[in-house]
Amino acid sequence: MKSLTSTICTVLLIVFTSPGFAGPQQDAVVNYYKELAKREFSASRGEAFFRAKQTGGKPATPSCTTCHTSSPMNTGKTRVNKPIAPMALSKTPDRFSDLKKVEKWFGRNCRSVLGRECTALEKGDFLTFMISQ
Amino acid sequence: MSDIPFNSDVERTKSSPRGVRVWDLPVRIFHWGLVLAVTITLVTGFLAPEWRLDIHVWAGYAIALLVTFRLLWGLYGSRHARFASFVYSPKKTIEHIKGVLRGKSAHYSGHNPAGAVMVFALLVVLATLTVSGIIILGGQENLGPAAGFIPFSTGVETVSIHRLVAYGLLFLIAAHVIGMLVESHISRENLARAMITGRKQDAASQPIIMPNATINSRALVIVVIVGLTGGGAYAIMSATPASGIVKFSPDDTYASECGDCHYAYNPSLLPRNSWQGIMAGLDDHFGEDASLDSETANSILAYLNKYSSEAWDSEAANNLRIVSVKNPLSITATAYWRRRHGEIDKKVFEQSNIGSKGNCVACHRDADSGRFDDAAIFIPAPPVPPKT
Repeated sequence: MKSLTSTICTVLLIVFTSPGFAGPQQDAVVNYYKELAKREFSASRGEAFFRAKQTGGKPATPSCTTCHTSSPMNTGKTRVNKPIAPMALSKTPDRFSDLKKVEKWFGRNCRSVLGRECTALEKGDFLTFMISQ
Repeated sequence: MSDIPFNSDVERTKSSPRGVRVWDLPVRIFHWGLVLAVTITLVTGFLAPEWRLDIHVWAGYAIALLVTFRLLWGLYGSRHARFASFVYSPKKTIEHIKGVLRGKSAHYSGHNPAGAVMVFALLVVLATLTVSGIIILGGQENLGPAAGFIPFSTGVETVSIHRLVAYGLLFLIAAHVIGMLVESHISRENLARAMITGRKQDAASQPIIMPNATINSRALVIVVIVGLTGGGAYAIMSATPASGIVKFSPDDTYASECGDCHYAYNPSLLPRNSWQGIMAGLDDHFGEDASLDSETANSILAYLNKYSSEAWDSEAANNLRIVSVKNPLSITATAYWRRRHGEIDKKVFEQSNIGSKGNCVACHRDADSGRFDDAAIFIPAPPVPPKT
């Protein structure tokens, strides 16, 4: 019994602290979008979306890369030059673990960059790409 | 007791070619210590930028201690140091000044009547400057022994008195030096040297009677009493927290939601109206979409309302609550902010270790507390670019 508890703890510890691997919290967030999108997500589609130049949003923010830089591994910058932790899960292991926070940022940034809300598919692809990084 | 003639001492000093001892050591140390401290306060007060206020203040405390010592030494010191020995009637003072103007001066062993007026005037002026300085420091800066008792407005109102009396001090110093030179010329006695050596060459001078051991031990006792009383008063008064600074625990929601994108400003930097305006317009927050769900927004607004500038009496809160008419939601648009940061090059704000005008804490190390002390400003050097 005792060894089972410690094994579970060890597994959880590895799952929660390993960089680059989605833990149950990230899975839950991705699954939420999967149920809405009713499609499989693609990391390559997510990468293309991340790098795409958009025209529908604010002129100052034509792309995700405007603030997040061209690599998810890099530290980004807010408009007042405050650092943004890298988007890649391997670099920032607590990313995409809170659906409320993920929705808040998709809401703000999709409106800024695309001038509209993102679809569940776009969000899921984006997350899948970032989680794979 | 000190007036009992001390014959052997009189004989020895009178026959000494070095002159007659008139100024005891404590008086001379007081005089030149005061010259040093006053010079520091004048230079830092009139010329140095405000963030050298700490030096000004320490020199000011030194003046307070020196003046307090001199007041006591005027009662317990050697003969020419005592106030009683240089209180002259107005008639005698006017006669003396008239005489000086005609190039004649009666001999005085210690202070002449004009010098006596100068001593009293300087003591009154310096006492006024130290008291008004402590009031300003406590009111305007929320620092020093009066920080717990003096409102900001009183501190600000006292500045004009402090400045006016400081100009008076400059006038007195000029008059003192000119008077000393004129009297030295008329009496053929180098008065400045006498204040260094303690001796006057004129054999008619009445020497100090009190033995040196008595002078020194008395001065030491007075120094200890003044130091302990002054230090004790400082400690007791300083124990009362600054009246203008609110003790508060930062709100976690505010720190994370607002601090994700920019420095999470101390709430005292804007009035309630501005915070309400900001929280009502988060979908267009200085051009950014910063929208929040209403529950989170309300909890942040409650925090900002509670600790907005209205709750504070600090220098920052009092000045920044006068917001810009055109841009009432912006801290950096206020006239006060712009004036205080006007001399800083735009490039400094763009340094990678500062980032923007809104990153208060990059230079104001006490920005979180809302104090914004002048002594806590450290503008970081631009980071060295990596070698290519």
